This record gives sequence, C-alpha cells and structure tokens, in this order.
Amino acid sequence: MAEDLVLDTAIRDWVLIPLSVVMVLIGILRHFVSKLMRSSQVPDAKIVKEGQLIVRARNLRSGANFIPPRSFRARRFYFSNEENGLLHVPKGQAPNPQAQMFSDPNMAMDMMKKNLSMIIPQTLTFAWVNFFFSGFVAAKIPFPLTQRFRSMLQNGIDLSTVDVSYVSSRSWYFLNLFGLRGLFSLILGEDNATDDTQRMMQMSGFGFDPTKSLGAEKDSLDIVQHDWALPKFEQRAEAVLRKVLS
Amino acid sequence: MDSIPTFNAEHLQSNMKTVYYSRTFLSIIGGVIAGIMGFTSLTGFIFYFLIMAITSVGLLAKAGFTVHSYFDSWNRVLLDGFLGGLMSFVLFWTFACDLVHIF
Repeated sequence: MAEDLVLDTAIRDWVLIPLSVVMVLIGILRHFVSKLMRSSQVPDAKIVKEGQLIVRARNLRSGANFIPPRSFRARRFYFSNEENGLLHVPKGQAPNPQAQMFSDPNMAMDMMKKNLSMIIPQTLTFAWVNFFFSGFVAAKIPFPLTQRFRSMLQNGIDLSTVDVSYVSSRSWYFLNLFGLRGLFSLILGEDNATDDTQRMMQMSGFGFDPTKSLGAEKDSLDIVQHDWALPKFEQRAEAVLRKVLS
Repeated sequence: MDSIPTFNAEHLQSNMKTVYYSRTFLSIIGGVIAGIMGFTSLTGFIFYFLIMAITSVGLLAKAGFTVHSYFDSWNRVLLDGFLGGLMSFVLFWTFACDLVHIF
C-alpha cells in the first residue's frame, strides 16, 4: 500500500457532492416526468375479460380446499371443459392476439417512451461527467481491487503507479448510479421510474400471450388435488370457543 | 388441531416491502458509520454482514419470533434482500470515508 494521496478539498466540494446531488435530483425529476407523461390507455375489452378470467381461475385454485369436493369439481369442469369451457381456446385462434399486440401502435409508443425516458438522462449525465470531470483523481474506494480493474476505474488518470483504489469521477458516477437505487426506493415509494431492472422484467413478461396464459391456467387447474381441509373444523371451532369462554 | 396455512397475498407483499425498506435504510446508515469509523476492505464487508444480521434479529424480534404468522417461510425474513443493500452500502461507505479521511 503506497502512501496516502492528499486530495484537494475543492474536489470534494465541487465534484463529489454536486454529482451525487445532481443524480438524485435527476432521478426525482425523471420519476415525476414519467408520471405526467403516462398516457392513459383505453383497455381492450377482450384483454380485460381474459385477465379477469385468469384471476377467477387462480382464486379457485387457491381456495380449492375450502369448498366441498363436488362443488370444486363442478367449478373446475366449468373452466376446463373441452367443448365450451372458458379456458379452452381452439387452436385456430391462438396466434392472433400476439400479432395484434405487436403491431399495436399504442403499446409500441408506450414502450418507446419508457425506454427513452430512462436512457436519455443517463446518457446526458454521463456525457456531462466525462466532459467536465475527467483527468483527475476523484475519490478513494475503501477496499482494494486487482490491477485488472485499473483500466475500468481510472479512466482519465494516466499514471500507472497510482493505487487502484483511487478512482476517477466516471467510476464515482457508476457507483452513484447503482447505489442510489436503494435511496430512491425509500424517498419515492414503490413503483418509481428509476428501477431499471424491474422495468425490464415487466416489459418482457407483459402478458403478450393471453392465450398461452389461459392454457397454463387450465393445466394448473387440472393438476390440483382436492384436499378437503374443513372436516375437522367443528372440532377446531369447539376448541377455540372453549378457550375463549374459559 | 392444525392451522391450515392461508396467506393473504397483499399482506404478505406489504410485509416484504417493510423488510426491504428496513434493510435498505439500515444499509445506508451502516455505510455512513463504516465510512466515518474508517473501516477498510474486509472489515467493511464484515460490518455490512453484521448490520444485515442485526436487521434480521430486529425483524424477528418485531415479529415476535413466530415467523409463520407474518411470512410464509423463514428464508423470507432472514435471507431475502441480503445483497440488495450492498450497492447502497458501498456508495455511502465510500462517500463517508472520503469525506472524513481523505479530504
């Protein structure tokens, strides 16, 4: 471990703190802008119907053990009946909703807007950081890293003898980018626009194939074994009453 | 007389959110403490795991040690979100360490 570098106080005042403050403010700004720009989609009636149907089937599955066996079987038959069961979709209709979803202009616009609102501030801030804050040591990270990280972290610093712990402001930017996610979830509450990974997961599994999920629901409903959980309920009620009354 | 495990999904989710918030908050505070006290490398990471363990114990105490009435498994309250606060911890650790010791 070489000697400790003594860094100018001005770096702390004019680089570290402003960069963090700017990133927090941009995050808050982005959150509110995306809230304002969210266009209200008119939901398609068919999609809503299928969604509610799936919710019903799921409720049946979770509450299956609390209704008598015969009623459970009757309900299950209603859903997964081969001829006119609600969850059974004939093969011919299957690919249609998918094609419709992808060419739907509203959905494409929405996705593009969300993407842009996330990428543009990041790119702008990164360019700003690179332009103004390059070529000097900005911070020291408290743990040592191997030499391989040198090119990644010490981008503007051209001395090769400086300890890898002394990093440039670009790496301070990245550290802020990842670390402030937790802070945003605290100040902005849930469902804020800064959580990239959550948004990407949401985009991929958006329910583009309602027919596939119907088929999946039907299969899982067929699998359920009915285990009547309530036969001993009278004894249980009696025990509770005794405890309460004694 | 056995109690059938039934869980209200919304309540479960809200409990998980509480756990997540506590962990995030404590990892930020822990980062600032670690920076001020000047922990470096391994000591700092050990301190992070210590903070997470304290969070787990605190949550268990709040839940009255009956995990099953609030969560669906032990893992949820003990291990979930352990590494989620790591990035925030490192950020605030670096920040505080630099502010206090280097500048």
